[in-house]
Amino acid sequence: MTTIAAPRRDGSRAHAQLERYPIMRELPDEGTLTTQLLAPLWTSQPAWKWLFLASGALSLLFLFAMGVTFARGIGAWGNNIPVAWAYAITDFVWWIGIGHAGTFISAFLLLLHQRWRASINRLAEAMTLFALVNASLFPILHLGRPWFFYWLIPYPATTGVWPNFKSSLPWDVAAISTYFTVSLLFWYLGLVPDLAAARDRAPGRTRRRVYGVLALGWHGSGTEWRHYRVAYTLLAGLATPLVVSVHSIVSLDFSIAQLPGWHSTIFPPYFVVGAIYSGFAMVLMLMLPVRHVFRLHDVITRRHLDHIALLLLVTGSLLAYSYLCEAFGAWYSGDSFERYTMLTARTRGPYAAFFWIMTAVNVLTPQLFWWAKLRTNVVVLFLAGVAIWLAMWLERFVIIVASLNRDFLPSSWHLYAPTWVDWSLLVGSIGLFSFLFLAFLRWLPFVPVSEVKREQREIASESRDLDGVAPEVAR
Amino acid sequence: MSRRYDESDGTREFPPGVADPPAWVSRRDFLTLLGAGAALAAGACMRRPDKPILPYVQAPADVVPGMPLYYATAMPLDGYATGVLVRSDTGRPTKVEGNPDHPASLGASGALEQASLLELYDPHRTGAMRAGRRRTTWGAFKAGFAPPALSRRVGARGAGLRVLMPPTTSPLTASLLERLRETYPEARTYFYAPLESPARIEASRKALGTALVPQYDFRAADVVVALDADVLAAGPFNLRYAREWADRRRTEPSAQLHVVEPTPTPTGTLAARRLGATWSAIGPIAAALMDTLGHDARPTGHVAGASTASLAALTPEARAWVSAVAADLAAHAGHSIIVCGERQPAEVHVLTSAMNDALGNVGATVWYTPPAVLDDGGPAHDLAALAAELRSGAVDTLVILEGNPCYAAPADLELSRTVGAVHNTVYLGAYDDETARVSAWHLPAAHYLESWGDARAYDGTTSLIQPIIAPLHDGRTTDEVLAVLAGRPNDSAHDLLRDAWNRQRGPGARMDGESDWNDALRRGVVSGSASARSTPAIRADAVAQATAALAARGATRGQIEIGFVPGRAVHDGRFADNGWLQELPDPVTKLTWDNAALIAPAMAARLGVATNDVVTLRVGDRALDVPALVVPGHADGAVALAMGYGRQGAEAVARGVGVSANALRTSSAPHMASTVAVLPTGRRHELALAQTHWAIEGRGSSIVGEGVEGQRSAASSVPPRKRRPLTLYEPNPPSPDGFGADQWAMVIDLDVCTGCSACVVACQAENNIPVVGKDGVMKSREMHWLRIDRYIDGPPDDPRFETQPMLCQHCEKAPCEYVCPVNATVHSEDGLNEMVYNRCVGTRFCSNNCPYKVRRFNWFDYNAEIAETERMAKNPEVTIRARGVMEKCTFCVQRIRDAQMASRLAGDAVTRPVVTACQQSCPTHAIVFGSLTDAESEVSRQFGDPRSFSALEELGTVPRVRYLARRHDGDGTDGAGGRAR
Amino acid sequence: MHITCEVAALFSPRATTIARGVIIGGLTLLVFIPAVAMGWVRTPWARGEHHAVAQPVAFDHRVHVTGLRIDCRYCHADAERTASAGLPSTNKCVACHSRTWMSAAPMAPVRQSLETGRPIAWARVTQLPDFVYFDHAIHVGRGVGCETCHGRVDRMATAEQVVPLTMGWCLDCHRNPGPRLRPLTEITTMGYRRPTADTSGARLVAQGDHIRRLTDCTTCHR
Repeated sequence: MTTIAAPRRDGSRAHAQLERYPIMRELPDEGTLTTQLLAPLWTSQPAWKWLFLASGALSLLFLFAMGVTFARGIGAWGNNIPVAWAYAITDFVWWIGIGHAGTFISAFLLLLHQRWRASINRLAEAMTLFALVNASLFPILHLGRPWFFYWLIPYPATTGVWPNFKSSLPWDVAAISTYFTVSLLFWYLGLVPDLAAARDRAPGRTRRRVYGVLALGWHGSGTEWRHYRVAYTLLAGLATPLVVSVHSIVSLDFSIAQLPGWHSTIFPPYFVVGAIYSGFAMVLMLMLPVRHVFRLHDVITRRHLDHIALLLLVTGSLLAYSYLCEAFGAWYSGDSFERYTMLTARTRGPYAAFFWIMTAVNVLTPQLFWWAKLRTNVVVLFLAGVAIWLAMWLERFVIIVASLNRDFLPSSWHLYAPTWVDWSLLVGSIGLFSFLFLAFLRWLPFVPVSEVKREQREIASESRDLDGVAPEVAR
Repeated sequence: MSRRYDESDGTREFPPGVADPPAWVSRRDFLTLLGAGAALAAGACMRRPDKPILPYVQAPADVVPGMPLYYATAMPLDGYATGVLVRSDTGRPTKVEGNPDHPASLGASGALEQASLLELYDPHRTGAMRAGRRRTTWGAFKAGFAPPALSRRVGARGAGLRVLMPPTTSPLTASLLERLRETYPEARTYFYAPLESPARIEASRKALGTALVPQYDFRAADVVVALDADVLAAGPFNLRYAREWADRRRTEPSAQLHVVEPTPTPTGTLAARRLGATWSAIGPIAAALMDTLGHDARPTGHVAGASTASLAALTPEARAWVSAVAADLAAHAGHSIIVCGERQPAEVHVLTSAMNDALGNVGATVWYTPPAVLDDGGPAHDLAALAAELRSGAVDTLVILEGNPCYAAPADLELSRTVGAVHNTVYLGAYDDETARVSAWHLPAAHYLESWGDARAYDGTTSLIQPIIAPLHDGRTTDEVLAVLAGRPNDSAHDLLRDAWNRQRGPGARMDGESDWNDALRRGVVSGSASARSTPAIRADAVAQATAALAARGATRGQIEIGFVPGRAVHDGRFADNGWLQELPDPVTKLTWDNAALIAPAMAARLGVATNDVVTLRVGDRALDVPALVVPGHADGAVALAMGYGRQGAEAVARGVGVSANALRTSSAPHMASTVAVLPTGRRHELALAQTHWAIEGRGSSIVGEGVEGQRSAASSVPPRKRRPLTLYEPNPPSPDGFGADQWAMVIDLDVCTGCSACVVACQAENNIPVVGKDGVMKSREMHWLRIDRYIDGPPDDPRFETQPMLCQHCEKAPCEYVCPVNATVHSEDGLNEMVYNRCVGTRFCSNNCPYKVRRFNWFDYNAEIAETERMAKNPEVTIRARGVMEKCTFCVQRIRDAQMASRLAGDAVTRPVVTACQQSCPTHAIVFGSLTDAESEVSRQFGDPRSFSALEELGTVPRVRYLARRHDGDGTDGAGGRAR
Repeated sequence: MHITCEVAALFSPRATTIARGVIIGGLTLLVFIPAVAMGWVRTPWARGEHHAVAQPVAFDHRVHVTGLRIDCRYCHADAERTASAGLPSTNKCVACHSRTWMSAAPMAPVRQSLETGRPIAWARVTQLPDFVYFDHAIHVGRGVGCETCHGRVDRMATAEQVVPLTMGWCLDCHRNPGPRLRPLTEITTMGYRRPTADTSGARLVAQGDHIRRLTDCTTCHR
C-alpha cells in the first residue's frame, strides 16, 4: 500500500516544489541579461589560471603515458592473460558513458519540450564532447598495433580483406565516430547565435574578428532563425536515437562474448541507463561550481537541481534493477560458470571490495532524492555527483576485470595489477577533460544566451495570458 | 636482487623492458615511435630498400636452401647417451628430435634434449681461450701441455697430474685415458657428477657379487612399484621406460603403477596408489613390503621368513599401501617390476633386487648388465679423495674437463679454494663459470652438436657423436684435450675417433669398417653394441644383512629431513643458462625461474609459513635462506630442494636465479641430510609460478573429464557422458570429396601423460616462441603455445593430481573468430583455427573470448635485441611475431603445408602423415595427430574411444582437440591414490 | 540592421566568399585525400613495378634466354625443388664462361668472387614481405609458368618487376587458378599462348583439389 502511496504523495510534493522554484527568477531586460551572461568571456577568474595550468600539466602526463605505450607496447600496462582488457577499456566505457548526458539533455529534453534544459544544455553538450574526445582516444591506444587502426574501417584495400562485421568492434568505431560528429555539429550550431552576440559585444577588434569568424557571419535575421530552428530540431532528432544506439553497441563489446559476467542479454539497456546516470552525476559535479562561481542562481535555479536529482533517482533505480536482473539471470541460468562468476567471484572474490562499494554507492545514493529537501541541497547534490561519478568507474572495472580474472579454467586464473602507466592514462584523461572544459568556460558562452532569452520571452507571454497563475502550472 | 642488473643486458632471456617498468622514453623507443609513424604512412609492408641475394660461390653437394637435412647424433648427459636426430637448415641446427633407432630415445626426446639446441647458440658461452688474464691459443696450450713440456711440471711418471671430469661412457675417452695411464702411470683421473650415487653399484656388489646395474622391460610388467624413483621422467633411460610403460598401459588397461616418494614427481602423479613418505621411511617400507611378500609370494629360499614386526612399525597409511601393493605384486609375480631410486641407500637397493628375484621378475622383466659408466661406483668417483690430494699439495697440474665441479661439489670440500690453490689448473668448459674463475687456463668446450665423439646408452649401446655445425667459439672436446695430455696433440677429434674405431675393429677390417662407420653415423647407433645380459643369483646373507641394517636404523622420527633433488629443468646446473628451461614450469609445482624448499601443507601449518615466505634451512653449521613452496602430497617431515640453481658464474641468465643446494650438501651426505632445521625469517620472496591456482573448483568433470572409475576397469567399461550442445547450425562434417579433404585433429591421452613437459620445449623450439623472463611469468605473460595444466585437489596429504596439456583446441565453432574485428583469426577449410599475425591489430578480444586462454600476446618486441647466434636457432618456416600481435598453437601448420605440397607434387592420393613437434617429442605417445577424413587413422579411432571427451564440452565450441579421460584404478573409496571425488 | 554594418566593419566584403570556400574546400579534402591515397597504392609506382634494378653484373637475360636458349631452370635450379628458385653459384657462371668472355670487363665481379670466394651480391627484383611464405616448387610443379609472375624475362636487358605483387593480385589466381595454368611442358616458355579450349589448367586444378583450397590464410601466412 505504502509503496504505491509513497510516489503519489511524493509526486504531489513535487508539484509543490515546482511552484516554489520557477525555471528562472525575475530577469533584467534582454540587453543587460546578455551582457551579464557574456561577462565571463571578458574577465578572467583569479583561480582559473592555476586550474588551467594544473589540468594542462595533467594533459601532458596523459601525452607522455601515451608515448610510453606506443614506444614500448602494451606490456607497459599491467594487462596479462587472462586479463587482456583492463584500465584502458574501463576508462573508455566510463568516458563514453559520461558522454551521454549532454545529448540526452539537449536532444531528448528538447523534443520533450522540457524548457528547463535551456540554461544547462550548453554546459552538458560541452561535457559530452570533451568526454568523447577521451573516449575515442582509448580504443586506439589500446591496440597492440595502433598504427593499423584504420583496418577496422571498411575500405577497399589492395589485400582484398574487409573488416569482420560479425565482431562488435567495427560497429563501435562507426557508432562512436557518428556520435562524435553529430554531437559536435549540434553543439556548434547551438553556439553560433551566442558567438555572434559575443562578436558584437567583444572589446577589441581582434576578439571581435575571432568571434566573428566563429559566428560564421550570423546576422540574427528572421530567415536565419527559421533555418536555425529547423536544423537544430533535425539534429536533435538525429542525436536522440544515437544516445541509445552508441552505448548499446559499446555494451555488445562485452555481451557478444561468452565470458561469464559479460555474456548477458540485459547489457544494452543496462549500459545506456548506467551511462545517462553517470552523465548526470558529472553534470552536477560541473554545474554546481559553475553556478556558484558565476552567480548563475537566476538562470540555473533550484528547479534544475530538483529535476536532475529526480533523473538521478530514476536512472539510479533502473540501474539497481539491472544489477538485480544480472545476478538473477546468472542464478536462474543454472550454468555453474555463470553462477560462480556472478554469485561467488563477484561477492567474495579478489575484487569483492570494489563490487560492494560500487553497488552500495550506485544503488543507495540516489535513494536520498526521495526527499525533496535533499534534491535541492547543493552540498548533498555535489557529493552525490562525485560519489556516483567514481562508483560508475568502479562498475566498469568490476565488469571487465572481475569477470576476466577468473574464467573457465582455474589453471588460467590470475590477478591484475595496474602499472604507473595505467594510472597516468586514467588521471591524465581527467586532466585533458578539465583542460578542455576550463578553456570552454573561459572563451565560449557556456550559458546559451539566445535560448535563455527565448525561454524568458515565452514564460513572460504565458504568464500574461493566464495571469496570476504560475507559468509552470499552465503547462 | 643482483639479477636486476643483468636482466637489462638485452639478451633474449630478459627482453628489454620486461625486467623493469618503462622509465623515460629511450632513444630506441623514440625510433620505435618514428617507425610506427613510418608504418602508418606507408600503410602496409615496405618493399624497398631490400637486402641483396647472396648465392653460393661453390654450391655444396647436398645442401639445397629451404630443404632441411636431418643428422643422427647423440647427446651425453651424466655420461649416458640419448640418440637424437638434428634438423639442419642450410647448416644451422634448428631442431632436436628423437632417434627411433636409439634404445634410450625410441623416437622420443625430452625437455633437456630439445633445449640443448638453445645451449648451442647461447650468447654467454666462452668465446676465447684464456691463460691467466691473457688470451691464448690452442697451439700455446698444446706447447705447454703435451708430454715433453708437461713432464717437466708433473714429473716423468705424472705424479703431479690429476684429471677431473664428469662420469663418462665413451669408449674413445676410455681409450685415451688408457693411453694417458701408459704415458703417466702415476697420474690419476677422477669422475664427478653431483647427481650420481654409488649406492646401486655398492648394493649389486654385495647382493650379486659384482658391479651390475638393473635393466627393465616395462612392456612385460603389469605392476610397477617405484620406491622413491621418478622412473618415467628422470634418469638415463626415462624416455624408453615411459614409452614402454605407456605401451603396456594402453594395451593392458590393468597395468598398474604404485609409488612411494617424498616429493611429488610426474611418476607419482600417475600412480594408482601413491604414498608420501620421507627418504628414510622408504627403507622400512621396503622391508615391510618384502616381509608381506614373504607371506603372499610364491615360496623362495631367499626371502626372509614371514615377520609382521616391520609392518606393525609403519604408519596406518603406509601399512595400507604396503598390504595393497604386496597383494598386487603377489598376484603378478613374474610380471612386475620394483624400481629403487638412485638416492636410496644400498640396503634398499639390495631388498629391491631380492624382491624382484623372489617374485621371479629377474629374467622376465628385470635383468642386469655391467654398468656403462667407466669405473662406476669405483674409487675414481670419490671427489673427497681428490680434494684431499689437492689440499696435500701433491698436485701440480689439475685438468678439469667440463662439469663445473667448483659449483657442483659439496660445500664441505671447499673445492673452489683448493682448486684455486693448485699451481696449474686447466678448465675445459662452455661458460666462464665458478670453475673457470679459479682456473689458470680456460679452454672453451665444444657443444655436442659441434663435436666428434662417442658415448654409450644406459644399456651399453654405443652411438657416434657427429658435429652438425663447426664450433662457434673455437671449442674443443674432452677427447682432444686428453689427446694432448696423452701425447697426440695434433690429432683432431675426428681422427682420434676414426682411429679408435678402426683399432676396435682390428687391422684389415678397414674397408668393412668404412661401411660400418657410415652406417653407424646414419643410424646413430653401433649395431650390436649393447652390453650382455646377466641374471645372477642373489646372496641370501646380503639380504639378511640389509634387512638387519634397516631394522637397526629405523625411520628417523620427529626430525625433518632434507633431500637434494635434481633441478628438473636445469639438471645439476649444466642448463642453468638456458632460458627455455629456466622458464619451463616444473611439471608438478609449475615453478619457474627459481628453486624453493618444497614442504607439505601440514608441516607448513606447523611452522606457520606459506608459499613465498623465506625460511632458513640449517644443516649442521651451514645455513641457507630459501623461499618455501607448499605442495600438497609432499611427505610431512621432508624438505625437497632442487639442485642446479644459485649459480654465480658469468652467465647472465643463470646468475642469481634461486639458491645453491650445494651449500648444504656434504661429501658424507650428498643427496639427503637426516636433520634440517627450518626457521621462518619473516621475509618474502615472490616465486614465479606459471599457475597460481591448483584447485579445480568442482569443475573436474567438464575440464579433465569423468575419468573411468572402478578397479581394473577396461577401456570400454564406462562410456562417458556426451554433452553435445544444442545448436542451430549443422556440425561441419569432414567432406571427403572436393575441397579440404583433410580435417586435422588431435587426441591427448591423459591416462599416460606424465606431464614431463618435453612437448612444451619442443613447441617452443619449433615455433620460435620467445622467453619472457621471471617478471613476465609473474605477470602471467608466458608465451608457451602449449602449456601443461596441473590440478591438485582433494585431501592435502593425499591429493588427486590431474595433468592436462592445454593448447589451442582448434574449435570448429571458435569463440575467438567471430570477435576479431579484422578477420585476423579465421577457420581454414581443413579445420585449422588460423592466426594471421600480419593482419592482427592486437585488440586482444580473441583472448578474452577464449575459454581455454591459450592465446598469447606479444606484450613487447621480444625478438628486438636477441643475439646473432640466437637468431640462428630460429625455424625459418615460422614467422617471427612482431610486437602487439596475438599468437597461438597452429597445429604446426608449417609441417602440414609442407606435407601437403610434397604430396601434391608427388601426386599422392592422400596427404603424407604429419607429425607435430609436440607429438614427435612425446615419450608416451600421449599425443596423436592426424586427419579425421581417414577413418582408419589413429586419431579417428581415438575420437571414437569411449574415454574421449573435449574440455568444456558444454560451451559448444566443438574442439578438434579431444582428451582421453584418465583411468582411475583405485576402488574409488579409499584415500590411497586419492580417487574419491 | 545595425548588426550587419558592424559585421561589415569587421570583415572585408569578400570574407563570406572566403569562409564558404574554406568550409566547402575542407569538406571536399576530407573525401579527396583518402580517395587519392587509395588510388596511389594501386599505381605501378607505389608497387615498384617497371623499375629496372641495377645489378653488380650487367647480366642480360635477352642474351641468355632468347639468344642462347638456356632454360630458366639451368641457373634457377631449385625452382622445382624448393621454396626459393635460387641464383646460380659463381662456379655455375664460370662453368660456361671459363672459355668465353671470362676476361671481359662486365665479368669482373665474377672473377673477383671466384678469387676472393665472396658471393656476388645480386639485388632483389621480386620481393615479398617476410610474412609471406611463397613456394616456387609448388607453383612451378602445378603449372604456373615463370612468365606468369616474372613477365617476358626474355625481353629484359635488366630484370624488373612487372606484376603488382599485392595480396589482391595473388588472390585473383588462388581463387581461380584454372585459366592461368599451363601444361607442365610449357612452364618456362616465354610468350606462351593457350590454345583455345585448353583444359590442362582445369585438369591440374582437378588433380590438386582433393588436397585443399588455396584461399586459406595459412596457404601463405604462417
